[in-house]
Amino acid sequence: MFPELNSILNTSPDHFPRGEFTLVSDRQADASFLIHHFLSFYLRAGCKVCFLGLVQSFSHYSAVSQRLGVNLAQAKEKGQLVFLEGLKETLSILLRENRSSDTDTLSFLSRSPCTDLRGLFGFVRGCVRGEQGPWGPPVLIVDDLSVMLSLGVSADALLDFSHYCQATVCSELQGNVVMLTRGEDEEGEDDEDLGRLLTGLAHSCHLALRVRGLATGYCKDIHGEVELCWRGGRTSVNFSGLTDHRRVYQYKIQDKGVSFFARGTSSAVL
Amino acid sequence: MLLEIIDGTEGGGLVVIKDSVNCPGRCLLKSCVNAALRRKESVHVLGFDVSEEELRAGLDGEAAKSLVFHNGYTDPLCWTGMGTGQLTALHFSAQEIRARISQSRGPEPVTLAVDSLSWVLRHNPTASVCQSLQELRRDGLLKRILVLLHSDLHQHGMVDSVCHLASTVVTVAPFSGLGGVVGETAPQGIAMTTQRIKSGKVLQEEECFTVGQDLSVQVYGRPSQPGLTEPEPEDSQADPAANLTFNLRLSEHERQAKDNLALPFAFSQEKKSALLRPRAGGGQILYEPDAADDFDQEDPDDDLDV
Amino acid sequence: MAARMKNVNKASLNQGVSVTVGTTSFQKKSRSKFVSIPGTRPSVQNGQLIVSTGVTSLDYVIGGGLAVGSLLLIEEDKYDSYSRMLLKYFLAEGVVCGHSLFIASAKDHPDEILKELPAPLLDDVPNTNAEHLQKQGSDPECQDSMKIAWRYQNLPQVQTTLASSTRFGHYFDVSKSMNSEMRQAARCDLFFLPSELPLESPEDISRMNIGYTKLLRSIQGVIHREGFDGACLQNKPRSILRIGIHSLGSALWGDDICYKESPHYAHSLTTFLYSLRALLRGSLSVCMVTVPSHLIQNKAIMSRVTKLCDTVISLESFRGSKRETNPLYKEYHEGLLHVKQIPHLNCLRCEVPDTKDLAFKLKRKQFTIEYFHL
Repeated sequence: MFPELNSILNTSPDHFPRGEFTLVSDRQADASFLIHHFLSFYLRAGCKVCFLGLVQSFSHYSAVSQRLGVNLAQAKEKGQLVFLEGLKETLSILLRENRSSDTDTLSFLSRSPCTDLRGLFGFVRGCVRGEQGPWGPPVLIVDDLSVMLSLGVSADALLDFSHYCQATVCSELQGNVVMLTRGEDEEGEDDEDLGRLLTGLAHSCHLALRVRGLATGYCKDIHGEVELCWRGGRTSVNFSGLTDHRRVYQYKIQDKGVSFFARGTSSAVL
Repeated sequence: MLLEIIDGTEGGGLVVIKDSVNCPGRCLLKSCVNAALRRKESVHVLGFDVSEEELRAGLDGEAAKSLVFHNGYTDPLCWTGMGTGQLTALHFSAQEIRARISQSRGPEPVTLAVDSLSWVLRHNPTASVCQSLQELRRDGLLKRILVLLHSDLHQHGMVDSVCHLASTVVTVAPFSGLGGVVGETAPQGIAMTTQRIKSGKVLQEEECFTVGQDLSVQVYGRPSQPGLTEPEPEDSQADPAANLTFNLRLSEHERQAKDNLALPFAFSQEKKSALLRPRAGGGQILYEPDAADDFDQEDPDDDLDV
Repeated sequence: MAARMKNVNKASLNQGVSVTVGTTSFQKKSRSKFVSIPGTRPSVQNGQLIVSTGVTSLDYVIGGGLAVGSLLLIEEDKYDSYSRMLLKYFLAEGVVCGHSLFIASAKDHPDEILKELPAPLLDDVPNTNAEHLQKQGSDPECQDSMKIAWRYQNLPQVQTTLASSTRFGHYFDVSKSMNSEMRQAARCDLFFLPSELPLESPEDISRMNIGYTKLLRSIQGVIHREGFDGACLQNKPRSILRIGIHSLGSALWGDDICYKESPHYAHSLTTFLYSLRALLRGSLSVCMVTVPSHLIQNKAIMSRVTKLCDTVISLESFRGSKRETNPLYKEYHEGLLHVKQIPHLNCLRCEVPDTKDLAFKLKRKQFTIEYFHL
């Protein structure tokens, strides 16, 4: 986890808001570093984490988490972390001769056009509602949701899936949900599905972290900007949701962490 | 007009609140519901977007006890099978809604709030949703239907079709800080209200509003006025023709003299009317060619009386 | 519950393979093994196992080399001259290092591509820049002495050619083709779509079109048969599988994204790339794919394709572009090279280049990439 981001979000492994749905999106940048932050943060906080890793292998997350001080393999063995390796599961389903049943986790891949992500939700539900053990509230992290658009899943199906995850994890079990959606690359691109997905998720999230490349172009020392937008949670002060609380920070990714600073105060500049 | 909607005096029918990501409209919906509860009306809520807890947050404690919440949030598509008998987003029909409402309604006519219709639109064909809404409206059962719709989640056609049914449409947009008013006194949003009265007349009004913690709505007035907290006097508008050492204005007498002045080289009135008179035989071209160039250098357009 | 247990077992089986790509390994056997794979070396940044693409300056631009288990996407230039060249360099490098090859094409028969592979220069090519500097250093009076800017005289010349200090990868002579003995010594698997196309019954998987499905099965078969996924744990000398796929997404593969704005097979290519990524991550292989992106009508598909690949570079040759009219450009370079994406596998950050303006030029002995400045 990144200590600077913790202070910006006013959270710590001992004290963090519950029942929160965090949306991480990016545009002309790569926001996956935030996923690594949340993964190590919630593991340190002692929560039971269900991680849907759809774009990278387990060893990738493991290697990065090692640098951030968390051992994923150990967490997996102890049962604190349940990891779904999307890449491996996909292959077996896509190249399988016989049909798979509805309740298979990634069954949406074998049928076309895909109707819904019921199987995947079933997996998540089984994981978070299962035996709690000594762990804290359940947390669901998805990396990333938009890759399923590339696999032919419709934006509606993804919105339904995220609603169910939110209803189960956030409202029923008072846990947290973090979802990454990788956004448009260039201006004027007509990806309707992605636009709808982002809008729908933005309507229901409590905290939105939008990572963007710098408007002024490419820079070696500042890798981009993060806009944090609190949309007013259920019991927070501005529950009406109209007054969004927004802040923008710039960031630079280093080997073992990410440093955040206010606009214009990068060490390369000052 | 916004206050009328909240007070319930706008005349019933279908009220659609259109919002977007930048300016959520749920608080307006909640203030309407809250005001209705305070007036001791019977209110039913079809909840899809947010949980019951979150919806009830902020409502007037005592009055909120009579609120009936139909839970479509936990299991709208029957995936978990837990909510058998609960509201689902599938098969939205007037019959089903009526049945649910009659199960637990009070004696007064009922106000129905839908939060939000976007769920229903995503899983049902638009035509059937519109038909169901219209049928519900025709019923004597419901006094008013309040619907929250996320306009950026659907195609324009779908949103417009639903709004076409409505008697009142409130479009909520974020306030962009015009006129340099920021901070505590800045309104939270701009509401553009369009109301169709039975006589066919359409009323439109644009107002800035703020929703307080207790769900009370404060309306400010038109957003185009600079300085929203005080009324702006008309003459503070800078008058460029004032305070000059020369006179730029004309008195009535001077204006008349100016109009009467005959300009040099302009055709007189008689000649103009003579030229304008329609001639018999229309476009005759009478051309007498000269040996040399015929054009008059001084008057190429041939309209000066030289 | 049973399903999940199976996954855990599979994960631990593949742990042996995935561990070799740079994580802290507690298996001593694999550690000694990954050092011994010829043609690879650990990256200086994060210990990741990397191979050369065959072009030294391209290696430098993408952060040292191509990581094993990753996918390099090349967006073709308009006439497919330079992208084809890069593919041949990639395969030739594989032959020289003793790696296995898998060539897939729908246009030309892979045998023809093999025959066109450039011959390697087995003796050292003098670095022309270094030579030049040497000459200058030895005889100071012969230097162009600067009259006005004399303060800059002793500063080193700007190194425009990109090259790292340690040589990794070989040089090839494009004018000569590789001799047949060397070619035949290499293990090669070919996939030519027209010869596979007399189809049996079309499968039920209508998500991907049939050409891609066959290709995917073929690649999976080779990986499994030759043991690149760690399946047969015999003590065979380990090697890398280099997969080269030419012009993926073009109409010859049966895909319609190149000629339709709203294609029927909109998800075919992206699903294929996702599955290919899954295959690569679980095996000791590396893949280079060229895609005619200038033909793809729907830009959204192209951005999805970019996100599904690890390293993405795009070639823009001056010959096909509007810039052809300016003769100045053509004198120095033959085209622009854009680095669109560099992966950061197993680490938070990737090697971020100083600048993104790069141009390439193809000389007889070298394909060089330089900073673009006039």
